Amino acid sequence: MTNYKGYITLFLVPTIALFMLVYAVSIVILFGTSFTEWSTGLKPAFVGFRNFIDMFAKDTSFKEGFWNTAVWVLLQSTVHVLIGLVFAIILNMKEFYWKFARTVFMFPNIISGAAVGMLFLCMLNPNFGAVNSIVRLFGDSEYAQNWFMDYATAFMSVTMTWLPYAAVVTILILAEIAAIPDSLFESARIDGASELKINLFIVIPMLRNIIGTCVILAGTSMLQKMDIIMMTTGGGPGNTTLNLPMYIYKTAMMDNNFGYSNAVGVFLIGFGIVFVLLVRYLFRIGSSST
Amino acid sequence: MKIALAICKYLFVLFIVLLSLGPFLWMFMASFKTNAEILTNSLDWPSSFRFSNYAMAFKIAPLSRFYINSVIVGILGTALNLLILGMSAYVLARFQFRGKKLLMVLLSLSLLIPGAAMLQPLYLTVNTIGLYDKLIGLIIVYAGFGLPVSLYILSSYFLTIPKEMEESAYLDGAGFIRTFFKIILPISRPGFGTAAVLQFLLCWNEFQFAIILTTGNQSRTLPLALYYFKSQFASDYGVMFAATMIVILPSILVYILMQRQVISGLAAGAVKG
Repeated sequence: MTNYKGYITLFLVPTIALFMLVYAVSIVILFGTSFTEWSTGLKPAFVGFRNFIDMFAKDTSFKEGFWNTAVWVLLQSTVHVLIGLVFAIILNMKEFYWKFARTVFMFPNIISGAAVGMLFLCMLNPNFGAVNSIVRLFGDSEYAQNWFMDYATAFMSVTMTWLPYAAVVTILILAEIAAIPDSLFESARIDGASELKINLFIVIPMLRNIIGTCVILAGTSMLQKMDIIMMTTGGGPGNTTLNLPMYIYKTAMMDNNFGYSNAVGVFLIGFGIVFVLLVRYLFRIGSSST
Repeated sequence: MKIALAICKYLFVLFIVLLSLGPFLWMFMASFKTNAEILTNSLDWPSSFRFSNYAMAFKIAPLSRFYINSVIVGILGTALNLLILGMSAYVLARFQFRGKKLLMVLLSLSLLIPGAAMLQPLYLTVNTIGLYDKLIGLIIVYAGFGLPVSLYILSSYFLTIPKEMEESAYLDGAGFIRTFFKIILPISRPGFGTAAVLQFLLCWNEFQFAIILTTGNQSRTLPLALYYFKSQFASDYGVMFAATMIVILPSILVYILMQRQVISGLAAGAVKG
């Protein structure tokens, strides 16, 4: 083949340019200004590690945001993935309803996060919301629990807007199961193994890699959630539903404390990297494949 | 024991289906009710299927403007992303060159960066270039956000095309560019279809950066309508429900029509781990 170096470069340049503009420049600004004190009207002033020290030592909002984020990452990596896995195994039996169930399960994942927030905001409305209406049917005609604004129930309510909706996990796992050769199932059945045993001891171990991937996807998605929280609680009441992305938004856009918010952003990236490395360790190197 | 398991299984499926479909059905039904009906009993069937709430939604809020913006951003954001990433995915899939490994590592770094971390930096960048509150700004940013997923889907797909395709084209005397646009692209429609659907949904549903990079009513997109008119619709819930339905329905339609692409795209685009 003749030398295509010119064309190769030509074809690569737009992507590299896009990457530079959107990601590279952002990272440089992020890291650079995280070591500064910077606000509207002022020029960034170098302050060394003070932002990071303040974050961990003095900032209670940061601590609460971090704690909430960590809990959500943990819950999503486990419960959410488990729900998706179980649903995938059930759907894999291909009973009459399976395509319908798969389609419908995707709905909450396919619409805008803002729309999900709005849906739940209305569903959990203390006066006319569906949830309270149903509770009222069962007796207490005065029931008017304010799910999103009550300190006791806010966190749980926000969690419910994303925890059960594991359609992406289900789809990924179903695709992976489809790749398992039928002969494996055949020989297991001939040996007399029950469906349950087959699923537990043959299928699931073979899904180790995709489950690991799902755990990574689920966990890191918790580092992105902001639109649902903005639509429902705004991080409140108090800081009970504040997570790190929401905190970054508040610090940057409302307090205009850019240096500090970017420091939190750096921390967020670090958090993500540590999480990914940890999961990769647990799922790939930790367990040996037989 | 077997019966107990079967019952658990069906209950679980029922639970999940209700949880997924329930909120939509409830709000869909309620969007046809008057405010009085909603406040008395929101679980009832609507007295009649009137569209007045929907008409009112378009009157109270500049929903048509937002709709048009979303369509423009969706289509152009997808086109830009596919064009740019299509070219580089092809080169990355087909050719070896100096620095290729480094480039691939660099590009996959984009997966590790949560959007929230880029809020203020991107705001600064877009503002400095002068694209604040312009649809082009959103289009470029969204094309960038879709970089990792489109790159993976498209290069995976290009890898499945046999090299004979290009070889016979070159033998016939076609040049590099001609081969790409006239031979490779037409065969790659499925791959592009998948990448297109995912990218379109990203553009259509995006909220965080739309709110940061726009202001006022000229350049805002549909998801923002919900946020800003939370207060405007505050008393007329029927209209609020109708507005939500208006925002949701296109995503659902696109998904139902393009299900195959979405599902295969997810399976391909996310096994990056």
